[in-house]
Amino acid sequence: MWTWPIYGYLFLAGTGAGATAISAVVLMRGAGGAFGPRYFDVARLGAMIGPLPVIIGTGFLIFELGRPFRAFNIMTSNFWFMPLNPSPMNFGGWMLLPFGIFGVLYMFCFMPWSRWLPGVRGNLLDAWSTKLRGPLAMIMVPLSVATAIYTAVLLGAVPARPLWNSPVMWALFTVSAFSTGIAAIMLGQRLTYRANGDREAERHFHNSGYALTVADLVLIAFELMIIALFFMAAYFSYGDVRYAIQVFLSGGEMAGLFWVGLVGIGLLVPFCIEAFFVLRKMRTGSFRVPYAVEIVTPLAILVGGFILRYVIVIGGQITGPVGL
Amino acid sequence: MRDEQQLDRVPPAEPPAVPDPDHDPSGRRQFLKKLGGSAALAVTGAAAVTSLQAEPEANEQVEPDVQYGMLIDLRRCIGCQACSIACKSEAYLPLGVFCNGTASTEKGHYPHVSRSFLPRLCNHCSTPHCTRVCPTGATYKRPQDGIVVVDQGICIGCLYCAQACPYTVRFLNPVTRFADKCDFCAHRVSQGVVPSCVNTCQGRARIFGDLNDPESEISKMIATNPVTVLRRAMGTEPNVYYIDVDFADENLKRPGEYVRVTTHQGSRKKRG
Repeated sequence: MWTWPIYGYLFLAGTGAGATAISAVVLMRGAGGAFGPRYFDVARLGAMIGPLPVIIGTGFLIFELGRPFRAFNIMTSNFWFMPLNPSPMNFGGWMLLPFGIFGVLYMFCFMPWSRWLPGVRGNLLDAWSTKLRGPLAMIMVPLSVATAIYTAVLLGAVPARPLWNSPVMWALFTVSAFSTGIAAIMLGQRLTYRANGDREAERHFHNSGYALTVADLVLIAFELMIIALFFMAAYFSYGDVRYAIQVFLSGGEMAGLFWVGLVGIGLLVPFCIEAFFVLRKMRTGSFRVPYAVEIVTPLAILVGGFILRYVIVIGGQITGPVGL
Repeated sequence: MRDEQQLDRVPPAEPPAVPDPDHDPSGRRQFLKKLGGSAALAVTGAAAVTSLQAEPEANEQVEPDVQYGMLIDLRRCIGCQACSIACKSEAYLPLGVFCNGTASTEKGHYPHVSRSFLPRLCNHCSTPHCTRVCPTGATYKRPQDGIVVVDQGICIGCLYCAQACPYTVRFLNPVTRFADKCDFCAHRVSQGVVPSCVNTCQGRARIFGDLNDPESEISKMIATNPVTVLRRAMGTEPNVYYIDVDFADENLKRPGEYVRVTTHQGSRKKRG
């Protein structure tokens, strides 16, 4: 039975990969994008939030192994002829290793080196950081998208788990990864921003909050749609898939957590809150959101992302092929 | 025919002794074979295309010379669990895990009731799902006798194979910490002795032998009896055959019908 290390990893890696991807895209887009002069702060936040959870989650995965010290067998026992091993875990190992290396480098490129190491060394590190940021961002975009997708491919590759073995599930995990990544950046931005009376800076802060909220709104809408499609497809199917989906239907073991925790708290509540403020901005032109709401909305999205991983991992394992 | 079966009947083909010289976890040989195929393609052109396409994909299993299989005649099974115990003592399995567990099914309302048994073990499938998800190549189907084994020197215990197995016969051995499963007693079979569960079966319900040899007892029994395999729809092409399985399922019962299946995985809340 796969338990907390697996869904812990899926959540941490999804959120981290989403935040890293957003950060890299925002950095490459530059000041001309939706974030205006605040683009660098958003990119830095994503770079600080992103890579570490992925590495911690990978640590969970290694901890979960029966023989943790053999973890590198995933790559080394197939080292020279890797493409011939179709196992998704092999693919994931080759994805997570460069993500860890380049992700940490990418994170280091945003550190205030000259403030920590006054003098020549700090200045040198700052110069390198400025030079390396762009190329690293270009590497991080495909790497983090692949890491976000891999969380679902790992589950989807086994026909003996009919709940997981669905392309819709892959889309759901990927969209949820970006949604939770944006939520993490929103939360970080709210917690690190200090109003200092500068009206122009405050306007830019609200503008970047608006850009993140709109992106998140679209992703949550997609997520709701994918869940609806998944239910339609499974409900009108037969056999294994039809019986597997019953854990989420009325009377199923995971129904309450799925509908209240994920669809309610994790998706519909943040969707309504975000839609309200986005629509008000469209009407009145101002995007001023109360502090508590700006904290609670991303938190609800993150909790929903965790519940999604939990119900899918556990629900997939307590259902199986029906019949002897 | 059944009564003539010897307890320690020597299997028809003598497989090589372990350790296995053909184990190719990295796929090097298959890769080299493919390289050779590509070279031939470059030289002979279109004629080689068909031959290359006919070649099996990497990690897809080639047809073994000897495919060991088992036939369990449930008309002779009395559910005594002797096979489960013989298996546990043969494989040194710790408490709580089974390579071979016997499920029992109760169904019906008094006085119209029945009870049937279903010994479950690894099906040593011809297209196993467990081997294709293994990230290390530790589990593979032995080309010489078709037994699916786990290489304990490589396995990392990620249990991906346990997720992929439709028969839930793989588990983490709590002592050795790697994925464990029935290996048809490969150490006994390679010495020409039948597996422990076959040896111990009181009702002589189990027949072990080479499915590729039409003259073997198991092939004859399969040819002359109505046999089934478990979960054929999963596409694994299992090599463990059953006679007279009761397919009554708790999840598929009609309203008012009573079906109860007791398995060794009872503590795990799992359907199917």
